[in-house]
Amino acid sequence: MNKRIGNFSRRDFLKAVGALSAGLAANPLLHSNIRAFAQDIAAQPPITILINDSPWFPGFAAMVELYTESTGNEINLDVTPFPGMLDKTRNAVQAGESEYDAVAITEQNIPFFYNSGLLRPIADIDADFTLDDHIISYGDAARWDSDLGVNGPMGTILGVPINGNIQLYYYRRDLFEANGIEPPKTFDEMEAIAEQLGRPPRLFGNANRVNPIWWEFGAYVDSYDAEYVRLEDDGSWSVGFERPQGLEAVNRWLRLGRDWAPQNYADLGQGDLLALMASGRLAQVHMVGAAAPNYDNPDISVVGGSMGATVVPGVTAEARSPRTGMWVMCHPDNLPSERAAAGLEFVKWLTTKDNQLAYAKAGAIPVRQDTYEELATDPVVGWWASAFAESTPFLHPETRLPETPLIRDSVSTRMAQAYVNEISAEDAVALMASEIRAIMEDAGYTVA
Amino acid sequence: MAHLTMKSKNDWRSRLFGAGSFKLWALLPLLVVLVIFTLLPILQLVQMSVSELEFVDGELVSEFVGLGQLDNLAKDPIAGIALKNTLVFVVAVVIIETVTGFCLAVAISRTKTLAVLYRSVVIIPLLIPPVAIGTMWSLMYDYNYGLFTTILIEMGVQYPPLWTADPDLALISVIIVDVWHWTSFMFLIMLAGIESIPPPLLEAARVDGATELRAIRHVILPMMAPTILVAMLLRTILAFKVFDQIFVLTSGGPGTATQVISMHIYKVFSEQFRLGYAAFLSLMVAAFMFIFVAFYLWASRVVRRRLG
Repeated sequence: MNKRIGNFSRRDFLKAVGALSAGLAANPLLHSNIRAFAQDIAAQPPITILINDSPWFPGFAAMVELYTESTGNEINLDVTPFPGMLDKTRNAVQAGESEYDAVAITEQNIPFFYNSGLLRPIADIDADFTLDDHIISYGDAARWDSDLGVNGPMGTILGVPINGNIQLYYYRRDLFEANGIEPPKTFDEMEAIAEQLGRPPRLFGNANRVNPIWWEFGAYVDSYDAEYVRLEDDGSWSVGFERPQGLEAVNRWLRLGRDWAPQNYADLGQGDLLALMASGRLAQVHMVGAAAPNYDNPDISVVGGSMGATVVPGVTAEARSPRTGMWVMCHPDNLPSERAAAGLEFVKWLTTKDNQLAYAKAGAIPVRQDTYEELATDPVVGWWASAFAESTPFLHPETRLPETPLIRDSVSTRMAQAYVNEISAEDAVALMASEIRAIMEDAGYTVA
Repeated sequence: MAHLTMKSKNDWRSRLFGAGSFKLWALLPLLVVLVIFTLLPILQLVQMSVSELEFVDGELVSEFVGLGQLDNLAKDPIAGIALKNTLVFVVAVVIIETVTGFCLAVAISRTKTLAVLYRSVVIIPLLIPPVAIGTMWSLMYDYNYGLFTTILIEMGVQYPPLWTADPDLALISVIIVDVWHWTSFMFLIMLAGIESIPPPLLEAARVDGATELRAIRHVILPMMAPTILVAMLLRTILAFKVFDQIFVLTSGGPGTATQVISMHIYKVFSEQFRLGYAAFLSLMVAAFMFIFVAFYLWASRVVRRRLG
């Protein structure tokens, strides 16, 4: 592996390889499968991948190492912190020739890059390419329907999912069992549990991420049937905050985020929630699925072995709507064909079932439903892999339009203001409704 | 008339090509560098600010909108709040850091023992990257695990402040961090200014019976006035562009309590992908700064005139 591994330390790498090796050693069949598959891969030119530095990166790095070992094909990694990914990707795809053969793009930037025309359609790299049916769709995240300007089942494939991050509901299994509590399926049950278990300041009943708000809050509005925007059957768009359920979703979110939370509820980011849960000071939390392996890490968590996870609750059990926050691997259009083909070859290898199993055991988040189902009984990762598998039918990705960033900004700003009573919940809903309507109308959409 | 025109042409030619013209030609490389690296990017920014820019089919498509960005500014709910917060932040940090920096410089310039140690310690915050400072203070401010809350609880305070989580306190918390970071910058400039005052002036004041305070009031301050104004000018420009510390500490929250203009421009550019409007906002900030600089230069002239 090339030395351009950014701030991924040698120790992290060894840990990841160690975990992967242990997984492989325990499963000789899996090992032989990888070897067997690897033998089918032809020699490829060295490639460079832009990848983000995140909790699941060690798993990705371990697979890169395994790919190189198995095939002899060299991969260089440019490991970049999340905030730098957008600019590096944007610069690469606009250059005369991209320095990267493959770029990881987070779901929230999909509309910008898919709509820009700066990515190579996968069919132009490999005319026979098809997405494996077992790869979870994540709201057609791989495809872009340029006629509608949104992800759609008839769209062109521009990327392949490589990280299946979604939202999960985490809870302290030990406390739940001791108190005879079943994991909740509805927001009402969540509130009852927060009330029953909360003993501040030693144990808080619940807390929400505020910094930023739009992602987790999306699961609430979607569950209340008040999506930020929705394409209706007649081809027009509707604004969820113009429906009465919009205010109900806001009030529910504010109540669950404030009433049983630490006093600094207005300043909680993802790291704060992880710290509260890992230090045993939070009874339940709704947060990113990729956090799961952290709770089993004894270096940073005292709740290893005591955690449970399931589908994020909803207004009813049937209306549960966890959001997705996944990543796709894409290939810039400004690449020679052989480099794009070499990049795609690695992505195809990575997303096979056997390699996805190894990927999960090395600490990454797979993208295949059959992988999750097989991992659901695993003694180490089964507690969260089963929650991923269980969540798939309920997944409700954000409507990804070129205007989505503006909508997110309106939601984050107004909800943050409501959170600290700068404005009332009613005013926040009214402002979000009018701002989102204006964004859509200004962009030329027909809004019902 | 024809004679005059001919003479003026000859003057022009002799200035450009005659003896002594080298000093003009020597400026050419600087002029080229200035045009390429300063003027062209500014012109590009101006062009962007009157356009809507979008990537379509792999091409950057630009549509001229003239002053249409003013409409976007009028509809922008955050720009006004961010500008107000920025002004409060700038005024507070520049005043506090100037006064603190000056006091520290006077005190340390009078110290004979351990002067080198004091100077080294005072400038340490300036050497730390702002992102590291933001992270460090964010950990100290943390309500659940932070140093300050822990100390206050140990001291028996029942309800310690929420620091960055309290909308009424968040901007003050950010200002405290900035003062900690940048006071050393003001200190260094002030110390250089004080040490450049001729010692006989201070000795003469003391011989005339001036106390230390009177010497500061009637000798050091007047002599330092131009230095102080320049330091304030530089600090104002830097404070107006504050970004990294606030980004790490609060991301502009809670609510919009610490939203500043640089962070808003970053969001418009990098999260909303509105390149034209971001360029327009940048120009607005530059214009605002220009007015500030003009005010400082005017104030500087007035002070100098009064001091003779």
